[in-house]
Amino acid sequence: MSKKECVAMLLAGGQGSRLGALTSSIAKPAVSFGGKFRIIDFALSNCANSGINTVGVLTQYRPYLLHSYIGTGEAWNLDSRDGGVSILPPYATQTGGAWYAGTADAVTQNIGFLEQNDAEYVLILSGDQLYRMDYHKMLENHIRHNADLTIAVMPVPWEEASRFGIITQDEDEKILKFTEKPNKPDSNLASMGIYIFNAKLLIDTLKEDAVDQQSEHDFGNDIIPKLLADQKRLYTFRFEGFWRDVGTISSYHETSMDLLGDKPEFDISSTDFPIMSNPSIRPPHYVGPDGSISDSLVGNGCKVFGTVRHSILSTDAYVGDRAIVEDSVLLPGAVVKEGAHIVRAILGENSIVEEDVVLGSVDMTKDTAVIGNDVVVGKGEE
Amino acid sequence: MIDFPLSNMVNCGIRTVGLVMPYNYRSLIDHVGSGKDWMLDRKNGGLFVLPGSAFGTSRSGARFLIRDILHNKSFLTRSDAKYVICSASNYVYNIDYSELVAAHEQSGADVTMLTRLCTEDDADTVGVMFDGERVRATKHGVTYGDTAFLDCFIADRELLLRLLDWYEAVDYMDLFEAMEGDFGRVDVRSHIYEGYAAPVFTTEAYFAHNMELLDPKISDQLFDPARSIKTKAHDTPPTKYERGCYVRNSLISAGTRVYGSVADSILGRSIVIESGATVRNSIIMQGCVIESGARVENAIIDRHNVIPAGTEFRGTPEDILIKEKGHA
Repeated sequence: MSKKECVAMLLAGGQGSRLGALTSSIAKPAVSFGGKFRIIDFALSNCANSGINTVGVLTQYRPYLLHSYIGTGEAWNLDSRDGGVSILPPYATQTGGAWYAGTADAVTQNIGFLEQNDAEYVLILSGDQLYRMDYHKMLENHIRHNADLTIAVMPVPWEEASRFGIITQDEDEKILKFTEKPNKPDSNLASMGIYIFNAKLLIDTLKEDAVDQQSEHDFGNDIIPKLLADQKRLYTFRFEGFWRDVGTISSYHETSMDLLGDKPEFDISSTDFPIMSNPSIRPPHYVGPDGSISDSLVGNGCKVFGTVRHSILSTDAYVGDRAIVEDSVLLPGAVVKEGAHIVRAILGENSIVEEDVVLGSVDMTKDTAVIGNDVVVGKGEE
Repeated sequence: MIDFPLSNMVNCGIRTVGLVMPYNYRSLIDHVGSGKDWMLDRKNGGLFVLPGSAFGTSRSGARFLIRDILHNKSFLTRSDAKYVICSASNYVYNIDYSELVAAHEQSGADVTMLTRLCTEDDADTVGVMFDGERVRATKHGVTYGDTAFLDCFIADRELLLRLLDWYEAVDYMDLFEAMEGDFGRVDVRSHIYEGYAAPVFTTEAYFAHNMELLDPKISDQLFDPARSIKTKAHDTPPTKYERGCYVRNSLISAGTRVYGSVADSILGRSIVIESGATVRNSIIMQGCVIESGARVENAIIDRHNVIPAGTEFRGTPEDILIKEKGHA
């Protein structure tokens, strides 16, 4: 790496309103996932595993837990003297201050951070995706193409293509066309929202965009179409592997369930590109004399006296005597009391399901039941 | 074992800890590192790795070999703390040391030994005998009802330094053995700790007290989140249970995968229990693989062992079988 070859900007300020009760008190990247992780672990671990040691994390919505969780970045080996994690919330200047008004605006407001680090390339990431990617390979691809902008892409099912930024490219991976969330997609190659820009071009473009009254200051809607119209060199980097956006309750639940099974498509246990986290140090979990667990992930500090099937129990979750937990996700400290029965539910951090409450339904046409953080569900309130 | 005294010290606000190294210190250094996981990576104070006198610390008899402390006298002279708490790491317990400090201050004693009332005979524990409030003598071995030394004491730092001067010529002795003739002029008292404390001097005791942790009443007390026992952080994912596995009355650590059957046991980190394997009344340490169809009963399997498919490794409840550390 040169002085600062590549700096990452991790967009972690969104509210994540589609995660409903799970993000009522914390930012989406701080939502617990997979028993002991938080969603932001995946992007931060990717940075660390790709040799990118300077990461700006742009925060805005309900940031306390996110800030304390990231701390100095040491949990991801990112507490280095020549880089490290910088938390970048909106700030005021002599002429005032403003909230981040879009993905591009958030980076625009932190051009100073890019200049301070004298970066040659800037990697833009979102904090709400699950995948393992070696960004260094993407950077090599970017340099090989002598590109101005490289977008990570992957094919998606045609019926879902209209949810994404859709790309048409030539045989040399050069982008010919980019359409954000098209009604009638003519390709199924989707942008993953992961970009590498030449820093100078990015800064110049963002400055122009900032004064454009028509712009929504969004990478997908404004910046990429503008660069394409300006005949810049836009290339793709094709990603093969597991990638999920866990932005909705159903995708969160489904992706959680995907971690289970003998040979899951996404193995969070794999050690060659490890997912690192900043966990609470808790003793081993305890399974009681009548406890029973199958096809599940169970974190430290849990206590299981009842039955757990095809579920995820995060750190310090509790399943009481005679209780049954199926196809569900218990976030850290969630409690299912004696005799309660929960099916296809997500229980927020430190939430409590009281004795004998029945929650959720096996009927797949019904929504996954969600209980917010710190909420208590009593008998008759389900 | 070191996690308990170290966490106890940190949990009552102590941020300067000198750790006297044993003869073979590789795994201990590997575990404590800079002390970060115990919040002991401080700009002032923090964790000090102190050289032990090599032969002393490897001898199980002496708790507080004078030589071990004497060699590190400068650690004590440079400090400006009023008190010093010394602890061996022979016991598993979770105490708020503030109660020891308070008892020490209240009685005005020179040295206050942390003790408990014995509920079992133990030849390895040091017993304490009294003359009124004051300690009159110590002895090796305790029986039911004795006051047992928890291998931890508090002393005024200045006084401890004076004691080191007195006993410099007999530095091969245990501090309390050396003090035997001086209990008249040194005011030594005891403070009785009433919580759970388990002595771990033998593998039998190690096994028995580990198994006690399967009682939530005991493990809740020992792992009280308000005074959490800290340990080295690992990036191990949650435990993964597969379809068709069986697990009852067990403590299981992160990173472990269970396909087979586990009952009445304690499993460390990153273990694989293959399908058809059974583990009963055993302790399995990190990194072991119990292969398909293997049976482990009444056993302690040390780290990084493989129990081959279809084989048995079985002791009896009276005679626990031990497999030494493997090389994987």
